[in-house]
Amino acid sequence: MKPRYAPYFFLAPFFLLFGVFMVYPLFDSIRLSTYSVRGMRHQTFVGFENIERLLADPLFWTALWNTAYFALGSLLLQLPVALGLALLLSNARLKGRNLFRLSFFSPVLISGVFIAVIFYLLYDRRYGLVNKVLGFEIPWLQDPDLVMPALVLAGVWRWAGFNMVYFLAGLQSIRRELYEAAAVDGAGTWQTFIHVTIPALRPVIAFVVITSMIGSFQLFDLPYVLTEGGPGNASMTMVMYLYKHGFEFINLGYAATIGWALAVIIGVISIIQVRFFGVFREN
Amino acid sequence: MNHLGKAPLIFGLLFLLAFPVIVFRGDDRSNTLEFWVFHQIHYDEYSARIPAFEAANPGVRIELRLISKSHDKLLAAFLSGVGAPDLAEVEISSVGRFFKGSKEEIGFVDVTDRIEVDGFRDEFVQARLAPWSLDGRVYGLPHDVHPVVLLYRHDAYEEARIEPESIVTWDDFVRETRPLARDGDGDGRPDRYPLLLSAHKPGHFWLLLLQNGGGMFDEHGGVIIDNEIAVSTLEFYCRLLNEERLAIPEFSQDPASFAAMKEGVVLGVLAPDWYIGAVRRFVPELAGKWRAMPLPAWREGERRTSTWGGTMIAVTNQAENPDLAWEFVKYAYMDDEALANRYRKTYIIPPIRSAWSNPVFSEPDPYLGGQFLGKNLTELAPDIPGFYLNPYWAEANDLLRQAVYEAANGIRTPTEALSNLAEQVRALMKDTPAMTEGGALRLPSPQIETSETE
Repeated sequence: MKPRYAPYFFLAPFFLLFGVFMVYPLFDSIRLSTYSVRGMRHQTFVGFENIERLLADPLFWTALWNTAYFALGSLLLQLPVALGLALLLSNARLKGRNLFRLSFFSPVLISGVFIAVIFYLLYDRRYGLVNKVLGFEIPWLQDPDLVMPALVLAGVWRWAGFNMVYFLAGLQSIRRELYEAAAVDGAGTWQTFIHVTIPALRPVIAFVVITSMIGSFQLFDLPYVLTEGGPGNASMTMVMYLYKHGFEFINLGYAATIGWALAVIIGVISIIQVRFFGVFREN
Repeated sequence: MNHLGKAPLIFGLLFLLAFPVIVFRGDDRSNTLEFWVFHQIHYDEYSARIPAFEAANPGVRIELRLISKSHDKLLAAFLSGVGAPDLAEVEISSVGRFFKGSKEEIGFVDVTDRIEVDGFRDEFVQARLAPWSLDGRVYGLPHDVHPVVLLYRHDAYEEARIEPESIVTWDDFVRETRPLARDGDGDGRPDRYPLLLSAHKPGHFWLLLLQNGGGMFDEHGGVIIDNEIAVSTLEFYCRLLNEERLAIPEFSQDPASFAAMKEGVVLGVLAPDWYIGAVRRFVPELAGKWRAMPLPAWREGERRTSTWGGTMIAVTNQAENPDLAWEFVKYAYMDDEALANRYRKTYIIPPIRSAWSNPVFSEPDPYLGGQFLGKNLTELAPDIPGFYLNPYWAEANDLLRQAVYEAANGIRTPTEALSNLAEQVRALMKDTPAMTEGGALRLPSPQIETSETE
């Protein structure tokens, strides 16, 4: 074998597996989205009918709104919490820093299903810890107006510690000279934070925002176990909606259409974010 | 190959060796049965019974697997044509999705003839064969009957001087149990509730609807969820929740509901046999305080029970040795001792009437103050209602959840909620008639009769 072919030889297993398990299903799902699939193997070509049906389906828009609500709620609540925790835990004078870091990070090690079960108990109207502490009987999971905020809060608990680690790493990589220069210029704590820390963390913030948005749009396990999409359809998310059509109704064509709609939405949002943060801009 | 040495050669040889091992598994699996179950209790039961089957059948091995989301995985295996086990248990609420498409696409072995040849068709409670039957063909054997009783707090009834015998109909129940639902602390809601009905999930409504003779589809596949029976049942359901406030709306079968039982907030539950096992497990401190009575009838002299939940076992059409699989099915599902043992552990009534003569079903139950629970349940079991399997079952059931939620929470009237549900199901059947054979909509034929009469 000629040496120049050797890399291809070693890379071949990856491309083979990637092709079979990623590329082929991806393209086949495009084909599938143009079919009405009923039953195990009964397929009928319907062209763009699935897309027309999707756009006219009120439940699709409900699911999209709920998912966007969760994504935005997570972004607005989770990231400040993660950054705040990172700032607190990067303070060298804080005792037991490592213990706190591990504690805040640990929720991400727990399966989503288990977290959902815990929050099911925490949010219980009569006996849940949350209402016991607040002193009210708030119907977190029964009220359609409260169920999404309840999910956002559970999401914050789960992911804030994880994103905190990224911010911690980002904070540690900021050059000390910048803080010293700011101090020499007479900048206060807030000014230093706004004019030194935030700009220096820009790449990390971009990464966390983009990955959090993608993750939020793929939300499934938490509402699936915690609320089953209810009350009514008040917490139905896009992936739950996809799952329902794909695996409960066995309408794989429509499920593929939902999947591609989700992929396009995530793609567009990610491109906007990449441009906003200037991720690939030089310097 | 100079600077790479022998690496490519070694990789090539390893690949050549591994490929046939992975792709052409040489082991003979015709004497091995892979069996998927979805519930820990079932797993424990079969784990204890399998060694005896293997001992009686030398060379046979049963690979029992407790699989999470087993229905999804089974469906994926049927869709792809590979990867299914030899045997699988399927839960009743999921079974509809396995019966879409043409008959040839059903992933389970048609066992109708085997049941006839073995001559035990009549031994089953016939209504329990219906959920796994299509066009008169049977694709699985039932694990259970799940007759429903009303579990009530005997001590509370005594304190309020309520005679359980005086409750024959649901109207009697409303009249007799009103004194239990008083608002003693003045917070605007009852301190105690004679019943638990979910305002968010359809399970309780569904079992009451079945008891009342209703259902989702009729024997010809027509939608009947908006008929007079369904509307009046849902109206009564909402009345118990909202006007009479005799039923607590916030729980279904969640852990908090057991806390409410412990606190004496919930004084009665609609309880299938398996749920009585759960109450016993999670609320042991109420031993001796519960009693079971037949469900109040909708009208005097009518059915005093319903059914909730269920499981079947099926041989998949990917089984290498269906005959052996069938032998195991009979062993696991029809052996009298196995069924008695199942009752001892789970309180689940088997669907085979001959098994009910086992003394275990006549033992007094200390948890229910010495009542003969097994005897009571087996007396009710032949009268459980049946319902018709339909290819649109999964979609209709999902819409039912929404309808019950809307009606119970005052978003729509029961009539509006059920009419909306029925319209959506009819539109679905009209718009997606891909489940056809030769262009005509395939409907389930009238199956085994819906309920047994002795």
